[in-house]
Amino acid sequence: MVEQGYAHRPRRRTAVRALVPVGVIAAAATGIGLVPALASDSGPSLPSLTAEQLVAKALGSDTQSLSGTVQVSADLGVPTQLLGMANGALGGGGHGGADPTAKLTELLGGEHTLQVAVDGPDRQRVGLIENLAGYELVHNGDQVWAWDSTTNQALHLTAPNGAGRPGAAQHGPAQHPGTPLTGAPTTPQEAAKLFLGQSAATTSVTVDGTATVAGQKAYQLSVKPKQSGSTIGEVRISVDADNGVPLAVLVKSVDGGKVLDVHFSSVSFAKPDAKTFDFKAPKGAKVTERPAADAAEQHRPSGAAPQAGPKTGPQSGAKTGADGVDVVGAGWTSVLSAKLPSAPAPTSDGTAVPGGKHSRASFPQDPAALAKSFGKPVNGGSLISTKVLNVLVTDDGRVFAGAVTLPVLQSAAGVK
Amino acid sequence: MSQAEVSPAEVSRTEVSRTEASAAVGAGPRRQTAAGFAALFRSELWLTFRRTRTIALLGILAVLPVLIGVVVRIETGDSSNGGGPAFIAQVSQNGLFLVFTALALALPIFLPMTVGVVAGDSIAGEAATGTLRYLLVAPAGRTRLLAAKFTAGLVFCLAATMAVVVAAVATGAALFPLGEVTLLSGDTIGLGAAVVRAVLVAGVVALSLSGLVAIGLFISTLTGSGIAAMATTVGLVITVQILDTFPQLHAIQPFLFTHQWLSFGDLLRQPMHWDNVLQNLGLQALYVAVFGSAAWARFTSRDITA
Repeated sequence: MVEQGYAHRPRRRTAVRALVPVGVIAAAATGIGLVPALASDSGPSLPSLTAEQLVAKALGSDTQSLSGTVQVSADLGVPTQLLGMANGALGGGGHGGADPTAKLTELLGGEHTLQVAVDGPDRQRVGLIENLAGYELVHNGDQVWAWDSTTNQALHLTAPNGAGRPGAAQHGPAQHPGTPLTGAPTTPQEAAKLFLGQSAATTSVTVDGTATVAGQKAYQLSVKPKQSGSTIGEVRISVDADNGVPLAVLVKSVDGGKVLDVHFSSVSFAKPDAKTFDFKAPKGAKVTERPAADAAEQHRPSGAAPQAGPKTGPQSGAKTGADGVDVVGAGWTSVLSAKLPSAPAPTSDGTAVPGGKHSRASFPQDPAALAKSFGKPVNGGSLISTKVLNVLVTDDGRVFAGAVTLPVLQSAAGVK
Repeated sequence: MSQAEVSPAEVSRTEVSRTEASAAVGAGPRRQTAAGFAALFRSELWLTFRRTRTIALLGILAVLPVLIGVVVRIETGDSSNGGGPAFIAQVSQNGLFLVFTALALALPIFLPMTVGVVAGDSIAGEAATGTLRYLLVAPAGRTRLLAAKFTAGLVFCLAATMAVVVAAVATGAALFPLGEVTLLSGDTIGLGAAVVRAVLVAGVVALSLSGLVAIGLFISTLTGSGIAAMATTVGLVITVQILDTFPQLHAIQPFLFTHQWLSFGDLLRQPMHWDNVLQNLGLQALYVAVFGSAAWARFTSRDITA
């Protein structure tokens, strides 16, 4: 402490001492900027595998239990209001605050954090971490609970084992939470399965280096469409080197932009505590009971809404015929087609529509008029274009949607 | 800064306290002893909490939970439509949740306002009243003085948070049932475990304000006007929170000191989700390091003219 001795030269001393905070800032910036860069540059060294071996490893993974935190970041370029509406129009219906379809469709826009626990095909739990709020989806045997902390409303489904999980038949045995009630990809496993089931004729799969994901050593799979006309450029899947569990899925559009990023930020393969899946309606919660048959019915149409997301291409006709939705084409360039209802769509069950937080009063209710107001006129109808998803609404009221370019949609619609 | 603005009583009162402090430190030239620091810290603490202004600020903070509690109690009919402040659906089920609702409401505006007043005024106010000169004549040392003021600021953060928490617990217990607490993840824990979490949340909230104390202290070293420093600090908090709402500024938002303030809600889950809380605390530490050292650089080398 010598300040008084130099009191006649305060300016110079200020300049010298100002270097200290500047140094702190510089050190922090280097730390924040460099550490992730260094970490991502050097993947762990692992024995080399062929793409076939790795895909087999991923699809054949027999890991039944895991828990961890999943980060979902989706940028489909779709306005959230539109997501809510698509969901409503395709049959989500209004079931009050705890409806899972509406909630999980939210995952298709923005960034979200989920706490996930899985113990075999019959017990799963997903917790959506929101700002000062939470949303839980618990599946335990024949019990399915959905609970929303903001409204303190719960939805309770009782279903015979299996019947309550209509999604299981399509996706294979190692099911994951969310699937019983919705098609939105809540874990990297689900997202990865969408893309790894493709035939070699339409898809090129290569092993592209290694990476560390959530502290686990992982192989990187690069999946690319062979067909032209898809708006998806590349899908990168990180597969755990030990047990073949997909730890991260990154979907890029043709122009290289990030469309969907689902990855574990922390993961453990230990068996979760049985209490985790033992969910009861919290005190004071308003519980809506729904029997199994109703649940299965509700699921069918609602599954179509998230399907309109990036999964459209690779799902290749698995859901043909559900609710009047047809699939044209195969593989990455498959196109969903449906007929628009001519009357205002979702008003039959009153005003309640999922995503009710968004103001819907300002939107016209007639879907065709809506498409016109959102879309830009093209040959044969109007086109609603987002980062990956293109939707063509023809003048005669048909809808064609897919992660494909406009010409593919037009040829599917039969217009040139 | 002219001393004419300052009431003589104020000056002499502070002066007496300062004299006591320097007497406690001892006559030796700038001995950096722990006892010396403790004496200086006590003097700062006394100076902060003795002021009517500080008591009034704490009183305002304590009124807030009472207000919320009464409103929820009266309008307890149908609060389950998802509107309103955070946790409002839980408050009528369990009075302890009033703590979290009150903190969620106080953290963006009221708490930073009070902290801005205390931190912003800490050096500029003394420069304005002319007491800073006395302090620097006394063998306290500028670095040590700054450290004492920062520590006193942190203590005020804790006191402000506790004012909200204590008032909320009292109101909640009086107006609503207590008992088992439903967490945000739908799990139910006992009252004892919930109280532990409430204490944890209060600690995290108090620490969330530490970055702001450092910023306020730095701004306070830049000016000789206490009002200017307070207004700038509070204005900065508001500006930063507005910036935090622009989606276009997505890239810089994780580095805004208010960005993760509400992450304390993650401690109310089972299992507790620490990612955002730790990120918040790390960010606060970074702000303390940057603005604390900036305040030091400025304060130890500037001329005290007032």
